[in-house]
Amino acid sequence: MSVAKASVSDADRTTVSWGHYFLVLAQLGLLLLLMRQFQIESAAFLRLAMLAFGGFAVYALLPMRYRLAFFAGLSIVGTFLVLGYANAAWLIAIGLVLIGICHLPISFTLRGVVLLIVGVILSMQRAKLMPFPWSEAIWPILGSMFMFRLIVYFYDVRHDKVPGTPLQAIAYFFMLPNACFPLFPVVDYKAFRRAHFDDDAYRTYQVGIDWMVRGIVHLILYRVVYYYLVLAPTEVTGPSELMQYLVANFMLYLRVSGLFHLIVGMLYLYGFRLSETHNRYLLAASFTDFWRRINIYWKEFMQKIFYYPAVFKLKKLGTTWALVIATLYVFIMTWFLHAYQWFWLRGTMLFVAQDILFWAILGVLVVINSLYEIKHGRARAIAKGERTAKDLAIAVLKTYATFWFICFLWSFWTAENLPQWTSLWTALGGTWTLNVLVWPLIVMVVIFLGLLPKDTLRNTKLSGQADKEFSRSRAITIIGLVALIVVSVESIATKIGPQVASYVHSLRSGKLSRLDIAKLEQGYYQNLLSVDRFNSQLWEVYTKKPANWLDVEFANLKHFVGGFLNEELKPSFVSNTRYGAVTINRWGMRDQDYAKERSPESFRALLLGPSTVMGWGVSDDGTFEALVESRLNKEQAIAGIKRFEILNMAVPAYQPPQQIPAVEKGLGFSPDAIIFGATVRELTRSVNFLAEIARKGVEIPYPELRQIVQDAGVTKGMGETESEKALMQHKERILEVSYRHITALAAKQGATPIWIFIPQVRDGDWAEETPDALRIARAAGFITIDMSDVFKGRKPEELKLAEWDNHPNALGHQLLADRLYTELMAQRESVFRRANTN
Amino acid sequence: MMNSDELRKAIKGYILSEFLPGEKPENVTDDLPLISSGVLDSIATLKLVLFLEEKCGIVLEAHEADKENMDTIDMMVATAQSKQK
Repeated sequence: MSVAKASVSDADRTTVSWGHYFLVLAQLGLLLLLMRQFQIESAAFLRLAMLAFGGFAVYALLPMRYRLAFFAGLSIVGTFLVLGYANAAWLIAIGLVLIGICHLPISFTLRGVVLLIVGVILSMQRAKLMPFPWSEAIWPILGSMFMFRLIVYFYDVRHDKVPGTPLQAIAYFFMLPNACFPLFPVVDYKAFRRAHFDDDAYRTYQVGIDWMVRGIVHLILYRVVYYYLVLAPTEVTGPSELMQYLVANFMLYLRVSGLFHLIVGMLYLYGFRLSETHNRYLLAASFTDFWRRINIYWKEFMQKIFYYPAVFKLKKLGTTWALVIATLYVFIMTWFLHAYQWFWLRGTMLFVAQDILFWAILGVLVVINSLYEIKHGRARAIAKGERTAKDLAIAVLKTYATFWFICFLWSFWTAENLPQWTSLWTALGGTWTLNVLVWPLIVMVVIFLGLLPKDTLRNTKLSGQADKEFSRSRAITIIGLVALIVVSVESIATKIGPQVASYVHSLRSGKLSRLDIAKLEQGYYQNLLSVDRFNSQLWEVYTKKPANWLDVEFANLKHFVGGFLNEELKPSFVSNTRYGAVTINRWGMRDQDYAKERSPESFRALLLGPSTVMGWGVSDDGTFEALVESRLNKEQAIAGIKRFEILNMAVPAYQPPQQIPAVEKGLGFSPDAIIFGATVRELTRSVNFLAEIARKGVEIPYPELRQIVQDAGVTKGMGETESEKALMQHKERILEVSYRHITALAAKQGATPIWIFIPQVRDGDWAEETPDALRIARAAGFITIDMSDVFKGRKPEELKLAEWDNHPNALGHQLLADRLYTELMAQRESVFRRANTN
Repeated sequence: MMNSDELRKAIKGYILSEFLPGEKPENVTDDLPLISSGVLDSIATLKLVLFLEEKCGIVLEAHEADKENMDTIDMMVATAQSKQK
């Protein structure tokens, strides 16, 4: 079946009937509702979508000659809306300079040189080697608008017989959705211009809606993978977990394909009938096929700018050699341009062994595949012919093998380091059960179902599609759109079932996954900024963090002391932060000064914990410790005690085992009580700490912990993932030993051991270890105070310091203080007992 | 120098024999988008470029091997003839 002749009248190309116009608007209304229900991307994106859809309402009625100007204008407005006036102004100014250089009245070579010079200056500014007067916030968007499209634009200005207009240039670079998306498809300039209203307008708008819905479905599926299926490398302990890890890790790519569908769908609303960005990439039957199906715009960009010029230059070597060398060249450039993209988006260079190896390996595989295709050809067809069961079986097997190999390569590419990746495969030595077949079977079924309908011709004219077929496709989209909206309504989802409602609710927001939250926490506790290279969601949170955030302001807070304790707060240190003074007293406590000797009429407690307990992000008198102490002294509610002293010995990034030497130090202050401030993931954090200590060969002064390390087989120099995995099996024992040491020290002193649990300010998976930690604390002899629900009923935004910093703010500390005071009073008989002290 | 009909026939014959063996000739129309529809990939496009260069005695540049110049048989004929002038 050949493509039907598509003769579209000018009227059909540019205008729609009133019926179609309102039908499209109604669907856009539903789409906005869907975006809102599922909190697609950010609030800024929702505002941009409202602008885009509202703009469409006007755009579609405009005479054709005004439309491009309107689109360009709306794109500029969108940029201002998302970035703010100053940032948008700078971005546009820089952009206009870059575009202008491409049209200077000098030779193309000289223009290229000027562009290069300006590029070097901008890159030095990006790398903070030179100052710049604009906000850092514009770099990712400036990068995404110009880093690749400027190359394409310059190439087309050089070669295109039909010159573009300034309006086309502005529309191309600042195109409406780009202000929200640092990751943006490399839209071709020629295609962008040629595709503008080149087909039936109504059908173009409808396909745009179709693609936006498809994009949202991808993004929702991404959340399923991101929240529920992705495993940390330390959790891959057996072959079935390995299968899940491989599949889920690759399927995180759904975010990219989802975003690209959303973006290009939005461009369709403005008449830009661009080609598809992806073509069923899960169904690739070879490496060349995979390269052709995934991120098609990238493939075409590389083909246009690098591949064809290389092949044409090398033609004299013979076709085969030209193709081989050009293909390898493309993959070298792909690697380089990914690092280049990384630089513009994140401000640092990306030179990682896995990155280089991944592209090298993929490049070699594509070359081998291409040589095979040159020799043997590949199956092509225009009409959907007959396919035998044998053909289908072969296609399924080839696709299946390709899929798993890509997952394998992808896991290599996305691993944080080589030792982490190699440690994954030790899981094959784990227990083999029938569960190991789950993911292979799911993949087989998906591929089989996906291959049932034969591939059709891509990117065909919409006007050439039969009415019935077009209407059926659109009906499926609308049904899907409405179904998603319906299921997102809580009262309806609850009627289906409470678990369904809970599941749908979890997919309705773009929160960070439990693994990313753990990484975010790790960022505070260990002052690390090594965010997973490929984790765009966590990175997007981090990019909002100002360069001079608290971790910089607190940079000199601690000093290295070595040994098991590793670091302490620097005594007599004062810092004035944006949240008030942080004062470290002469004893190295974030607290007021105290005499070493406790006076007889005082009740003294040591308070241990990590950054939240120390009072990260609040002033000296705003910490929950200071508030409780102040209230105890004011209300004088305990007979016989005139003065209450709570010595805040908490240190950011301290983990439970580290509190043992901290208590040993604190005993010199003759405490009557030892309050252990436990936070989330006590077990995992204990494991991670002990693994790090063991890997570094630091002496462990506690025989039981030494024994655990020995039993786990962790040795000096072992990889991070391997050591954590090995110790994870002993996590309860590690925490038990740590807690028992502390209660034993307390007993020796005659002090009351009290364990308080401080939750995160938001709901989430952080609570998964709390019941075990609580049980272990009680078994160790602590009086326990579980404040897990202290923040219930409050919005996280009210209580946390910032989007990138989940520490409780002043209000959070006030709530903690009020609750702790109440709990201490409720157990006053045991908490404030005076035992025989030394 | 071939006229446009001869060239059209030659190109179509080459495409059918080289890339679409077994395909019905009537399915390969002169305005069928071959590259943008995915029927012809980059390797096939390059082979077509070599064929055209040899057949028409022209030299094509890298930027001319794109959809705008090579997507349909009509476009290929127009490109070849413009290079011959």
